[in-house]
Amino acid sequence: MEERRHRTLPSFLASAFAWLAYVFLILPSLVVVPMSFGDKDEFIFPPHTLSLYLYKRYFLESTWMQVTLQSLVLGICTTAAALVLGVGAAYGLERYSFPGKRAVALFLLSPIFVPAIVIALGLYLYLGRFHLTGTLPGLILSHTIITMPFVIISVSAGLRHVDRNLETAAMVMGAGRFLILRKVTLPLLRPALVAGGLFAFLISFDEVVIAYFISNVSTQTLPVKMYSSIHWEISPVLAAVSTLMTVLSLAVCLVVVFLQRNERT
Amino acid sequence: MAAVFLTPLLFVAYTSVIGDQGFSLAYYAEVATHPLYRRVIENSLEISVTATVCTLLVAYPIAYHLSRRTARQRALLAILVLLPFWTSILVKSFAFTVLLGRAGIVNKLLGAIGLAPLPLLFNRTGVMIGLTHYLVPFMVFAILPSLLSQPPELRRAAELMGAGSMRIFCAITLPLSLPGVMAGLLLCFILSLGTFVTPALLGGRTDLMIANLIDFNIHETLDWNLGAALAIVLAVITAICALVLGRVRGGNLFGEG
Repeated sequence: MEERRHRTLPSFLASAFAWLAYVFLILPSLVVVPMSFGDKDEFIFPPHTLSLYLYKRYFLESTWMQVTLQSLVLGICTTAAALVLGVGAAYGLERYSFPGKRAVALFLLSPIFVPAIVIALGLYLYLGRFHLTGTLPGLILSHTIITMPFVIISVSAGLRHVDRNLETAAMVMGAGRFLILRKVTLPLLRPALVAGGLFAFLISFDEVVIAYFISNVSTQTLPVKMYSSIHWEISPVLAAVSTLMTVLSLAVCLVVVFLQRNERT
Repeated sequence: MAAVFLTPLLFVAYTSVIGDQGFSLAYYAEVATHPLYRRVIENSLEISVTATVCTLLVAYPIAYHLSRRTARQRALLAILVLLPFWTSILVKSFAFTVLLGRAGIVNKLLGAIGLAPLPLLFNRTGVMIGLTHYLVPFMVFAILPSLLSQPPELRRAAELMGAGSMRIFCAITLPLSLPGVMAGLLLCFILSLGTFVTPALLGGRTDLMIANLIDFNIHETLDWNLGAALAIVLAVITAICALVLGRVRGGNLFGEG
């Protein structure tokens, strides 16, 4: 018993630190939820009476709805483009070997390591030449570049788990390369595709720096609107928007945890 | 990909050296000598180093705690780390303005126990808190694999030989987790150096970081060449750190994925 107590004090302290850290991490997400049910245009915590007033404002004000719609369209188009290109790139990198493969892989993933502000400035100067700044195609192109690496990582990991013998068997039975991809490889890759697609969507939906440089008033996205709202006037509607976005994040992270658990079993 | 990713970067490089009078390195010279630019770059390095160290102090206990749970508990607790990871930086910034403001929750609590309000927002402290919060998940996921890969028998053996838990931690757990810690430090340093939103929303008007200065040059003073030169400086520092990071991970640049 003596030894046991001797052991528990430091480990108790370690746990206490860890829980403090968890609280620090989760606190901002917890604070916005009660705020969002306040009933006036001011910040009172905790709110005196609960109401859906701020949600009503969010859903009824056309500017908020317009930017949300813009972000949804952008997110969906980006996800589709990043999935198509990312699956192609990951398949090429995993299934074929060619000279300079490591360099190509490094290059394809490099947008992760370049600061967003540098990419934003580059795209701003570059897309300006083609009059694509301030347009939806310009935004989709920009977001596809930054989300594709995450699709590649997710799909590459998935491809490593796919039994190559299944592809070989299909080939022996006379299936063409495209048929194998469609009937064998892609269905087996579904968890990786879902995870990669969700990442791409969420990154695009949350992205602010590049959108801030590329978009204009008519193509403003939700994060850009939130950014300027925090920067200039701090509207209480932000609490409602933040809560909805937190719910979205929670849903995505539960799906990912669930997928990982399924993959293991 | 080459057309849409590399070309923009080349455009930045081009803009940083080609001014009205043709090719010149004058913009880099100005970045290096102008007191404002020097101060901002020093500021950025200072903030990034401090934030990275703070992040380590918060993240290590979490990673340690996670590594000592069963797989099932770990999956549940990991949600507490993943949720802020997937939460928009804007949601977090908004939450911190509510928490840390002059009439914010933290200062109200301080007032309730009879303490004077602290200036926590629109200054260095605000940036530090916001950045640390943003970086902790990255650090946790960098350290966790190096803690999990340690065989538990090692600790059992040390325990049987009479080592106390502090001794075990200092002599076995900590040294074996250092590769993960190094990777995490570099990753967080890279991420914080290029950060734009946090200093813009939680920082003071005079305490700029490199990214904010680039934005200022592009949108306010319209000095594109200088902005581009700054961006190249930032990109080069980041690239060097990324290469070192690749070495630390033993060539496996892309982690456990």
